Amino acid sequence: MNTLQSIVESIWDQVDVVLGWRVGYDPLHPVPTFVRDRKDIASLIWNPLCAPNLSVFLAKFFRTASQRDKKIGILAKGCDSRSLTALIQEGLVDRDRLLIVGLTCPGTVDPDALAAARTQSGPITAVAFANGMVEITSADGVECVPLDRVIERRCQRCRHAHPVLYDVVLHDFEPRPVPKDPFAHVEALENQSLEARKAFWLKELERCLRCYACRNACPLCVCQDHCLAESRTPKWVTQKDTVADKFLFHMIHTLHLAGRCTECGECERACPMKIPVGLLKEKTAQIAMDLWHYESGTDPGARPPLLSYDASVTGI
Amino acid sequence: MNNASFVSHAELADLLRRLSEQAEVWVPTRQAMTPHRPMFRPFQAGMDLDFQPMPVTSAKGVLFPQGEELLKFRKEKSLSEATVTTLLWEDPAVFRPTIVFGCRPCDARGFLVFDRAFLQGSFVDPFYKARRDKNLVVSMVCPEPDAACFCGAVGSHPADTEGSDVQMIPVKEGYVLHGLTEKGQEFLKNVENTPSQAQQEEARQVWTSAQGSVDSGASLTDDAQHFFKRFADTAFWRFHTERCLSCGVCTYLCPTCYCFTLTDETNGVHGERLRSWDACMFHHFTQEASGHNPRPTKAERFRNRVGHKFSYFPEKHGRFACCGCGRCLRHCPVGMDIRAIVRALGESEEVHD
Repeated sequence: MNTLQSIVESIWDQVDVVLGWRVGYDPLHPVPTFVRDRKDIASLIWNPLCAPNLSVFLAKFFRTASQRDKKIGILAKGCDSRSLTALIQEGLVDRDRLLIVGLTCPGTVDPDALAAARTQSGPITAVAFANGMVEITSADGVECVPLDRVIERRCQRCRHAHPVLYDVVLHDFEPRPVPKDPFAHVEALENQSLEARKAFWLKELERCLRCYACRNACPLCVCQDHCLAESRTPKWVTQKDTVADKFLFHMIHTLHLAGRCTECGECERACPMKIPVGLLKEKTAQIAMDLWHYESGTDPGARPPLLSYDASVTGI
Repeated sequence: MNNASFVSHAELADLLRRLSEQAEVWVPTRQAMTPHRPMFRPFQAGMDLDFQPMPVTSAKGVLFPQGEELLKFRKEKSLSEATVTTLLWEDPAVFRPTIVFGCRPCDARGFLVFDRAFLQGSFVDPFYKARRDKNLVVSMVCPEPDAACFCGAVGSHPADTEGSDVQMIPVKEGYVLHGLTEKGQEFLKNVENTPSQAQQEEARQVWTSAQGSVDSGASLTDDAQHFFKRFADTAFWRFHTERCLSCGVCTYLCPTCYCFTLTDETNGVHGERLRSWDACMFHHFTQEASGHNPRPTKAERFRNRVGHKFSYFPEKHGRFACCGCGRCLRHCPVGMDIRAIVRALGESEEVHD
């Protein structure tokens, strides 16, 4: 039977580095790791706490001069594999540089939801997953919480729990079934009046710190050090700590991802203030599907609609 | 432990309401959408207060606002000479007294780092000083340090009083308050009740058990000594910063990060000179007008962050520019652990390029 370690061993000779996750400062927070030494393969882990989308490092790090020729092994959940596909579509990484280890995904854990679901309070010393349950060990003992109750919002609406692009797949977890209405969250908001929606966003975005974690955690925000949020010449957004400026940044961010966003939800996960910024991008994904029947990051050969121009398109 | 006051859970809101008449009282409040991440807000009646979890933001904005207008200006064209413009200056707003109520001991110590940066030496920052002079800090003995907390490794503990004017100790029925400074004792005149013997005893126990409740390992002082030895070890810094996303979560949530930028935000003939938070993790932070950037990659930028907090600042001011609150780690999207990097400074481990 394949294990994460046996799969990585099997591709080891074909790659220069493997992007995966290892244990972080506590059992709840695995961190990205770049494995370049065979003995470190043992430290790799995969479970529903492995939230970071590793494809973020491709356009932002592995395109630099010293890294451009490196062959990369990369672990990819369903959503991560869509980001990889979109990066290939846009020519930001070559498919033949990648060896993709696809992971069937049951959804990733929202640490805040897990904290809320617990009845015990002691620091968590271990977390295990079995039969759809999260098993949490602390000094108070062991308690079990259904995984379904604590998964992130992004995963509740996931349509691709099985990776869309991979060279080898690891089937450690049952992929989460496709929900009936993946855009239910967007629609719930959209069914409100214009005033209510405006009030919602003003209230949510008011607490934005402009730390740009949403932007930097996004695998497809690839302008890197030339983002117009910080450009002084020309100046698009001021430094003022007002909701109007924050709103403007998030709108620009959203529009630059229209027809490109692969709905991985990293923007929302990375936000320390838990602003549901993913909703904005989900709306553009929905529009792309309605307007062009286009779902980004599902076909490496497809051309993103806003990277092409077709004079015959109507209705825009 | 004489000079103690007591406020019950039921009376707390009324106390805060009364205090709000004299000052802007910043309290940790729970937001409907983010119940697990309280943040500091000026008190308003009916607010959902929550002193239990560590607030996601520190209270630093009270003394060092994210965006602060330093002056307003207006250009006026002269009627007689078309080329002449006049700059009219307007004084900034007056500063209201502020109370930070219920922050953690680490947050209170964070302000001491600001004090050194903004008040000591030949340049005193008039804006910071005006705010600080009218500010009072009521910190609460930390009820639940988590795995990201490391106040113990930077010379503190969860019941530390340094930097606080008043210390509040959570007991079953409310809070026991101790005045620590002259200002703090003056403040306690607002609280009429005194704690019972039993409450005093309970507070003593809470204090003692909190003091030892954080396990941060050894002090970082010895490890930090190795910073300069590691300074030019490019492979070390690349290896340890590889997963960093170069966002500003760590610096913006940090109670001790005080770097800022100055911009003139103009709108037609009007404008303001703004001081706003900046982050050394951002590429443009050291971008020079020539186009040269002395810290071109995240490795140099993170090295600077470690150096500033654990080497340059302590060398100059005798204390770490870090209070061990752990927010940088707790909320980092990729779990960058500055403690682990400081600890690794002295190790002779092999790193890969």
